[in-house]
Amino acid sequence: MVLALLARLTAPPTQTLRTLRPTSSTVSFTVSTRPVPTTLAAKLRYYVGLLTRLLLGVCAVFALWVKWRISYGQPTDVLLWLLGGPQTAALLKGTGNVGWQYVGPGAIVVLLLVLRRGHTEESLTLLRDLGVQTSSSASTFLQPPSSRFIPTSDIQDIFIHEAFRGFEVRFYLAIVVKGEEDIVVVFPSLLPRRAMLEEVWRGARKCLWENGGGGRGGEGGGGGGRMKEKAGIGM
Amino acid sequence: MPYNIAMVSDNFYPQPGGVESHMYQLSTKLIDRGHKVIVITHAYAGRTGIRYLTNGLKVYYVPFFIIYRETAFPTVFSFFPVFRNIVIRERIEIVHGHASLSSLCHEAILHARTMGLRTVFTDHSLFGFADAGTILTNKLLKFTLSDVDHVIGVSHTCKENTVLRASLDPSMVSVIPNAVVAENFRPLSQDSHDSKHRTAPGPRQPLGPDDVITIVVISRLYYNKGTDLLVASIPRIIVANPNVRFIIAGNGPKAIDLEQMIERNVLQEKVLMMGPVRHEEVRDVMVKGHIYLHPSLMEAFGTVIVEAASCGLYVVCTRVGGIPEVLPTHMTEFAAPEEDEIVAATGRAIAKLREGKVRTDLFHNQVKQMYSWTDVAQRTERVYDGISGVIRHDEFYQGAGAAGVWSATRGRSGVQSFALIERLKRYYGCGIWAGKLFCLCVIVDYLLYVLLELFAPRSRIDICKDWPKKVPKETKEKELDTARDNSNLMRKRSSRYRREKRDERDES
Repeated sequence: MVLALLARLTAPPTQTLRTLRPTSSTVSFTVSTRPVPTTLAAKLRYYVGLLTRLLLGVCAVFALWVKWRISYGQPTDVLLWLLGGPQTAALLKGTGNVGWQYVGPGAIVVLLLVLRRGHTEESLTLLRDLGVQTSSSASTFLQPPSSRFIPTSDIQDIFIHEAFRGFEVRFYLAIVVKGEEDIVVVFPSLLPRRAMLEEVWRGARKCLWENGGGGRGGEGGGGGGRMKEKAGIGM
Repeated sequence: MPYNIAMVSDNFYPQPGGVESHMYQLSTKLIDRGHKVIVITHAYAGRTGIRYLTNGLKVYYVPFFIIYRETAFPTVFSFFPVFRNIVIRERIEIVHGHASLSSLCHEAILHARTMGLRTVFTDHSLFGFADAGTILTNKLLKFTLSDVDHVIGVSHTCKENTVLRASLDPSMVSVIPNAVVAENFRPLSQDSHDSKHRTAPGPRQPLGPDDVITIVVISRLYYNKGTDLLVASIPRIIVANPNVRFIIAGNGPKAIDLEQMIERNVLQEKVLMMGPVRHEEVRDVMVKGHIYLHPSLMEAFGTVIVEAASCGLYVVCTRVGGIPEVLPTHMTEFAAPEEDEIVAATGRAIAKLREGKVRTDLFHNQVKQMYSWTDVAQRTERVYDGISGVIRHDEFYQGAGAAGVWSATRGRSGVQSFALIERLKRYYGCGIWAGKLFCLCVIVDYLLYVLLELFAPRSRIDICKDWPKKVPKETKEKELDTARDNSNLMRKRSSRYRREKRDERDES
């Protein structure tokens, strides 16, 4: 019983694949660990959670501001006038009594927790005749996602292969870029399951080289050819 | 009935050697027979991860020792998680370990039994019983072989040795010899591909008394390969037969002794040291000679003398280990592993060649009929059938009596039971202390397995796609037609096309 619970807790978050195909020559695959709320309760929980985060964040910033006003002897009358009542006065006094060494780190911790992104999102966007862009979300909401653009002319191949990672063997989708020693791994931190990768792989090939594979560089080239062989197993 | 087989050993390509080529050839032939074979070995410098070799043989180079690079200590359990993952994703049914000095192979067999898989072990070498090192190795061998389904030895001597070392029931040890790819070891006369046209070659003219006879030695120059005997006997052979030249290929710690011997006796003109040769160049060296000299002190099988005979060389070898079983007497001249005997045997061989009594030109076809990897694969397949219960027990172990009579640990179907308590019974008999220690190991292994099942459940492991199996020509065409309306037509065709091409090349 306990073990089963432990096993459930250690399970990795479920991943979902979203495919966006606005035109026939553009497609975007996004793999995300964000849970999609479907039931009413789940939706409610999701929005309440969001609201709590927002409130907590605002409170932290507010506390910092108040502490700053008080410790520099600036008037806090605005606040009194805004909120009014003796409770506010007591709160203000309380905030003034707590030292900076508690307020500062406390606010920072709360802000970090609020801004931390609970899920990971990685995407692959393909534009025919232009190129592909891979992107991975950062760990906080403030940082922009790290992305990389590879022009179509530089793409030699896209394939699925396997590699050791920790104590297991995982599938990965990789792009071979002309003139680069290392391959570019798509979805590097999530490493979705094989079924998902195959869907992305098929879609990507279809989008990039639908008309006869004209854009495929490195056809018959020694290294590229070998890797295509490997990718062949993914069919 | 096709099986999914995992060959496990520490020795595999890119490192050259006998076990390596045995595993590779056996795997390819088993794939040709419709099985699925993967190889699990440890990572080599610059080679980590997963690779496909010709014919769709998948090789896992497990980066296993990298975690413990500093300590070369064989870690009993750390291999288990990766091994379990591979076994599940490849849907392995039979684990086949090779070479008794490979700790990876022993661990794999232990884990495989814990996971409830059939196991086979192939022993490729002979060991003594006397010194501390071999006693330890033998104890370890006893540990893993206490609970193995079947053991294969490469020769009858090897079988005897393994049975004694691991205290096995002799009926559960089969003998399946190595083989050679005879096409790669053609004599000089069949250099071109017209061998079919000359089915009956005329009698070879005998060598005249003044013609030079070349003796070839190709071996790693180690003590157990008998390099000391070689050092002692070469000067005497040359004194007795002045028109003899030696070609020695290979290197090792004893090379310096050979060089000293050459210097001391001023034999630079008569003895040529070639240094190391690659396996594919061995044939080119062999065909330069008339006699192959193999002074080994210890040999389980001796593939090299089969290769030499296949190249049309008359073989002079020591009567040790499995060597006497390997070739028929008309191809060999035997000697005891002593200096005098080797000199005498070489003398006899030279005399026979000069008289033209030996038809070395016929050796190639004879060897070709005796040894083939297809045959080895067939016999190995029968072992797999036997342990999975496809062949009935009494049929598989002919003359071993009815099932269950001779061994209480076997189930009714004649295959070893997987129950933990049965396994523990088998391990407990290994020795007073060792038995308990081994039982402890098995229990820990089992607990580890339970934990892994909980925290890395099977549902979280992706199943691999198999390498597309070879299909007969007409079905292949049909498949192509159905694939035509597939959007992935282009790549489907190209990969299949390439495969076909490769098959053709392989067949030619």
